[in-house]
Amino acid sequence: MRHQIVSDDLRAPEMAEAVEKCVHCGFCLAACPTYNLLGEEMDSPRGRIYLMKNVLEENLPAAEAQPYIDRCLGCMACVPACPSGVEYGDLLVGYRALQEKQRQRPPLDALARKLICETLPYPRRFRLAALSGKLGKALLPVLPDAFASMLSLLPDKLPPARPLPAVLPAQGERRGKVALLLGCVQQVLAPEISHAAAQVLARNGVEVHMPRQQGCCGSILLHVGEEEQARDIARRNFGCIPADVDAIITTAAGCGSGMKDYELLFKGQADAARAAAFSHRVIDFSAYLARLGLRETTAGFSSQRRVVYQDACHLLHAQSHQSEPRALLNGIANLRLVEIADAGMCCGSAGTYNIDQPEIAAELSRRKVASILAAEPDLVVSGNIGCITQLRQEFARQNLTLPVAHIAEVLLQAAPA
Amino acid sequence: MNRAIYDALETIYPAERILMRDAQLLPYESDALTAFNTKPGAVVIPLNEDEIIATVRLCHELDLPFVARGSGTSLSGGSLPIADGLVIGLNRLNRIKRLDPRQRIAVVEPGVVNLHISQAAQPYGLYYAPDPSSQSICTIGGNIAFNSGGAHCLKYGMTSNHVLGLKVVLADGAVTEFGGESLEGVGIGPDVIGLFIGSEGLFGIALEITVRLMPQPERYRTVLAAYDDLGCAGDAVSMVVASGLLPGAMEIMDRLAIKAAEASVNAGYPDAEALLIVELEGEAPQVEAEFEQLNGIIAESGAFETRVAQSEEERARIWKGRKSAFSAVGRLSPDYIVQDGVVPRSRLGEALLEINALKQNYGLDVANVFHAGDGNLHPLILYDGREPGALRKAEQLAGEILALCVALGGSITGEHGIGMEKRDYMPAMFSEEELDIMQALRRAIDPKEIANRGKMFPGGEAPALALQGMHPLEQQGVISRE
Amino acid sequence: MTANTLRGTSEIQDCVRSNERVHVVGNGSKSALHPQSGGAALADVSALSGIVEYQPSEYTVTVRAGTPVAEIAAALAEQGQYLPFDPLLPDCATIGGTVASNLSGSRRYRYGGLRDFILGAAVVDGAGRAFRVGGKVVKNSAGFDLSKFLVGSLGQYAIMTELTFKVFPDVPRFRSLSFRYEQLDAALDAIATISGSAYELDALDLLPPPPANKGEQAQGWALMARLGGFAETLPQRAERFVESVKRETATMEVRELDEADELWNPLAGLRGAAVVKVVLSPRQVPALDAAIKRSQRRYGVGGNVAWVATDDLAALERALLDAGLRGLCLLGAVERPIIGAPVERQLSARVKQVLDPQRKLV
Repeated sequence: MRHQIVSDDLRAPEMAEAVEKCVHCGFCLAACPTYNLLGEEMDSPRGRIYLMKNVLEENLPAAEAQPYIDRCLGCMACVPACPSGVEYGDLLVGYRALQEKQRQRPPLDALARKLICETLPYPRRFRLAALSGKLGKALLPVLPDAFASMLSLLPDKLPPARPLPAVLPAQGERRGKVALLLGCVQQVLAPEISHAAAQVLARNGVEVHMPRQQGCCGSILLHVGEEEQARDIARRNFGCIPADVDAIITTAAGCGSGMKDYELLFKGQADAARAAAFSHRVIDFSAYLARLGLRETTAGFSSQRRVVYQDACHLLHAQSHQSEPRALLNGIANLRLVEIADAGMCCGSAGTYNIDQPEIAAELSRRKVASILAAEPDLVVSGNIGCITQLRQEFARQNLTLPVAHIAEVLLQAAPA
Repeated sequence: MNRAIYDALETIYPAERILMRDAQLLPYESDALTAFNTKPGAVVIPLNEDEIIATVRLCHELDLPFVARGSGTSLSGGSLPIADGLVIGLNRLNRIKRLDPRQRIAVVEPGVVNLHISQAAQPYGLYYAPDPSSQSICTIGGNIAFNSGGAHCLKYGMTSNHVLGLKVVLADGAVTEFGGESLEGVGIGPDVIGLFIGSEGLFGIALEITVRLMPQPERYRTVLAAYDDLGCAGDAVSMVVASGLLPGAMEIMDRLAIKAAEASVNAGYPDAEALLIVELEGEAPQVEAEFEQLNGIIAESGAFETRVAQSEEERARIWKGRKSAFSAVGRLSPDYIVQDGVVPRSRLGEALLEINALKQNYGLDVANVFHAGDGNLHPLILYDGREPGALRKAEQLAGEILALCVALGGSITGEHGIGMEKRDYMPAMFSEEELDIMQALRRAIDPKEIANRGKMFPGGEAPALALQGMHPLEQQGVISRE
Repeated sequence: MTANTLRGTSEIQDCVRSNERVHVVGNGSKSALHPQSGGAALADVSALSGIVEYQPSEYTVTVRAGTPVAEIAAALAEQGQYLPFDPLLPDCATIGGTVASNLSGSRRYRYGGLRDFILGAAVVDGAGRAFRVGGKVVKNSAGFDLSKFLVGSLGQYAIMTELTFKVFPDVPRFRSLSFRYEQLDAALDAIATISGSAYELDALDLLPPPPANKGEQAQGWALMARLGGFAETLPQRAERFVESVKRETATMEVRELDEADELWNPLAGLRGAAVVKVVLSPRQVPALDAAIKRSQRRYGVGGNVAWVATDDLAALERALLDAGLRGLCLLGAVERPIIGAPVERQLSARVKQVLDPQRKLV
């Protein structure tokens, strides 16, 4: 589409290019969860591109377009669906960052958002907040919506903190050396994931570095348009992750895709080259392992299990990892992988989306769980803490006992004794 | 949009299903043809057929022009809104009401996505045959309005050939039903289904559609042949036809189209001047025998490379490349016009040569993708709208290509419809009297000309694709064209 | 009635302009369509005959409306092609009459009926205007598709002068088989199974048991299937098909049929005061059949058409009305050709208003 985007924003060229490449064909509509739910053009990728274009062209006040841009999950399902190669993420992330600077939020919203931005990326703060959240839950009925949705996501009890060693040596002949990103939310809510990932890697001959100083990758902040803060927090990792590792492994989808976007995030910054070099080494756990190849065949399960693999949007759409996790799971004896309908549709987790847009998130979860149940699995596996939490909550709400595990945990469980 | 109209709409819809804010209307101002954009007065989102009927009756009463819209994928501007008119968004009427595998029919609402019917029928070994490239998102209602085709039309026809029954609301609010579940459709009495389908939304809105489902073929053989000359690919099609084979599809793409498709979906196409896709389908023994015959023809036709899909995935990849080709051209050029002319198959080569000469005259790139079995050409004229006069030049070239198709004994549209884009070329195909008769028919059904006003017929009050100068409405700033 | 033999478009225009009521006729092969009433001028278009344009490589043929179907079939056969809708009365009908009455034969089962193969037409309407509808190429979506509307229009909206069809390559060889079923339900189950399978049949018709003589055992329903294709693949295809039908359906007996001329003529052997085409779906067969048990009948196109011969038309019409079905009388002396459920009027009445405002064409 032609446009008259005039902006001196650093990201304007990428944003303009995304608009230019869009031919308004509508192929993205089929892939978009909010369009599927709401059925209105402005809640589709094509519609949002059109709205952002009009705001950037100063034809439309940003506030008018805002509700529809806010409803975008950022799941990126529209990107692989787009024949003309629109980098929707470049437009959306740039646009959100641009708007966030100018945006006036209502006081309670702003407070809730501030709380998110100041706690989630910091494991220690988040842990404290989560513990006090238990107190908050008692107050749930009297709290405003913005807080209610945040609190309802917190678990009833937190697992104990389990520190990991700074280095886990490779077992047997060394086949690789990696750094493992421990994440922020994940460290508090599910420390067992990193434990499992580190062990599986070590068993497969990979030396795993887990520097204590590491922190959040900043993706969660980037996702909501807090660009400055995202950069600050990301820089901390540049310093502490060894320069000589083969790869920087993530076990959460959003971290991986966010770190792969550092090039754009640091565009024009003094440390742009460093960010790019860092970013190029980032790879998801399942992709790294599938490429490396499991050293030994796994022992597998003692009896037949039907397993649904839940694709995280930021693995499937943003990083194109569809086959790798499936290949790993298919290698496990007595594990039967069953595909579900609409596997590419977001489960509603989407970073902080379940906090910002609880109703849409809840409906997406309901639909996702319905598709999963139709496949009659014994176990659900995912590569992303967000999806895992979202599904566990929806299962609990429906009084279902179906277990949900991270792929690293399943590989560890199925490993030879 | 005035207050009285809003108040009247409010008697049918809750406020949240009447869209009137700028941010709600802007995304509706174009369909897949962005050369035109017009902001509607309002968009309403009905949830059932009673709401559609009430809306049409209201429009008739208030002289309010309306456009029914599904997913907005028309390439001819068929669902372009009318300035200050109403858009009736049908995509929430997306229920498959009944799927009867024994009778092999599905009864669906107009907002059902084409591909969803095949997906629902798949467990029973059935599918819905018409497969426009946008099948993953385009709706049956739109397919009916434009008699949509696809790559597999040669053997089993277009939308019209797969609809057995229809319930419609005519533009003046009358509700009528025709056909049923029989393969004969209407069967006795004039074929009103055939008349309604392809009427481009000028007669009214389809409310309920009974489509026929077909058994999935037992075997596909999908052959990809690469040529270093576009003419050779065209000749190969003639050879296949002359041999007495009846493939399910025969498609040709030229170098530019191959490049775009390859960049888009990594279909694994060979590097060639032209690619021919031939797909045989049917009972395994018959298809295998035909395949042997086809191989002989392709070998003789001068293909420098031939590939045969070895799995369903490979077949899907070949088709994904082809079906993404139009939009993929967005990678090569900021703007383009898709044409949809038809020529007699035997004159394909002639048409291609002539298009080649034309594009050189105009200094514009043209990518060619076509349904060779049907003689249905889709030249994509690439231009950069930022260059002054580029659009006009592209439009002129498009006009010459359409004139060429008519001169060769063909049609100005095979499957995209006239819509907004080609309405000024109607006189090239129809005499004044023929156009008058069609207009009279339209007025007999829609005396106030409110249903999709401004489409199909030349002239009229909506913005015209004028070849010289600005349209008066453009000058006044009422409409704009990018 | 005054008969006018018309040889060209202008003569037809004159005829329409100079008469108050006009009734068009070709070879008159369907007696029921020409009721002896009203004093309309008879426009005989059988002389408007001949193939105008036939290009085998285009899969299209353009013919004058009065051309005998047999002549077209012969010309196409020379090039190994055919009219896939399989005109019903190939020996005596004209193509115009076949379109006007929408009479496809058994082979329409494979690729579709008349409406699926008509591409365009030249007509003279009730106002005496001569014009074209549709196109001449296999694919065209410009303008309203009035050519399809002519199918089944019984000459009441416009008189066709020229018609263009899509044609297909014909198959070189056929095999016909018959499967016997004790009860109608079992035969209909078999139709559902076969029609939903990947076996591509040329035709699938169902014949009721012939009336049994005293003491003889009832012979059951005969489901006739026809396969067409390459000679070398037919034996294997037939074998696979028969095995599948034996496995999946309750057939009592399988017989090979002789590909005789009349085998696939659905009207063969139907004797009665009137012969009627009924349009229905397989689901509606049992109810109709229960009501017309004593009539000679044949269910064609996988149970989507019934051909019925009856001596009691009033009883048949009652049965059709009860079942919500419609019939077209082809042969016999009848008051009006269409019986049973009324035809759609909302849309067709408006076409009539435009094409024949003075209601001349009857």
